[in-house]
Amino acid sequence: MKNLKLLAGILVFGSLWGFSECIIGSSINESGLPTGAIMTGFFAITFLVISRMTYRQPGMQLGMGLVAGALRLFNPFVGCHLCSALAIMAEGAIFEIIWYRISLDLKELKPITMQISMGILSSYFVYVGGYIITQIFTPIVSGSGFFIENLISFMPNILSSGLIASLIGAFILPAVLLTRKIDLRLKDRLYYPTTIGISAFCWLFVIGNWFLLS
Amino acid sequence: MRAPMNLGKEKIIPIFAMIVLFIGIFSTIYVHANQIEKDTISINGQDYTIDQLFSIGKIRVIETDEGEKTGISLDELMSTVGVGCTDCYKYTIKAKDGYQQTVDWTILKTGILTDYGKVYFPNTAHTLWVRDVIEIEVK
Repeated sequence: MKNLKLLAGILVFGSLWGFSECIIGSSINESGLPTGAIMTGFFAITFLVISRMTYRQPGMQLGMGLVAGALRLFNPFVGCHLCSALAIMAEGAIFEIIWYRISLDLKELKPITMQISMGILSSYFVYVGGYIITQIFTPIVSGSGFFIENLISFMPNILSSGLIASLIGAFILPAVLLTRKIDLRLKDRLYYPTTIGISAFCWLFVIGNWFLLS
Repeated sequence: MRAPMNLGKEKIIPIFAMIVLFIGIFSTIYVHANQIEKDTISINGQDYTIDQLFSIGKIRVIETDEGEKTGISLDELMSTVGVGCTDCYKYTIKAKDGYQQTVDWTILKTGILTDYGKVYFPNTAHTLWVRDVIEIEVK
């Protein structure tokens, strides 16, 4: 029963993350703002930390990345489905690595300096790591092959672009941790209908748009 | 009383965060200082303006997942600029911000270069699309 609840949690948080990447990310992209950094620093970190805080289950964020990445593949609004999907999947895994030594009750994150620092580190490495992974794997998966010199020449830009994500994360993580006092738990009889309903809405909305636009 | 492990984390994590911020700041300064401003595109070692390339190239329209894109076809262009055995080489397309992608002939021949200096390929990941192109290296 506990595993089923966790699976439903992975599905709903992964779907919300994927949905925000597809729908909100497209609007930000059109406005010319740094979409990737904003999506990671704000949305990804928010969903990843809330799920960590609520479920206290290592491995969950990896699953969320897989769900969100899968949903991103269906995104009809912004191109580069493959690169974004790979980046999102990697982001979930990188978050797990960064938070591996942080206790599940987050007691280390009581001082505000720790909250800000973890926000900076999490956002920066999740974003930069995802960026690097996609630069390596997208050419491989798409058949053109990976060339290390291409990654090295662009590395300063990748490291630079993580700065915006890290600054957003510095504000977002403390803000998310403030919600610890809010009881987000649902009653058992409402848990599955709510999680499955939200997940279904996210998937149907994205896939429905894909059909409408293709 | 706090555990010693936590005391360690409370010191190390903020230090790492500071280092990360410095890396981001210095990379940003480096990127802006090393931005290449160039009005020409170097292909196989020779410099051409976009106008020159459009005067010698053949216009082609391709369908991408971002809609139709119009530019000069890269397969015709490579022959025109004197690349002999076109499928014997790999082609590295370089942008002014340091971004570059290497493709082989099977991909390059499907692509176009637009009048705003962006290379598009149909049916590929956008990672292979390069904007603000300053060089196509044949190697």
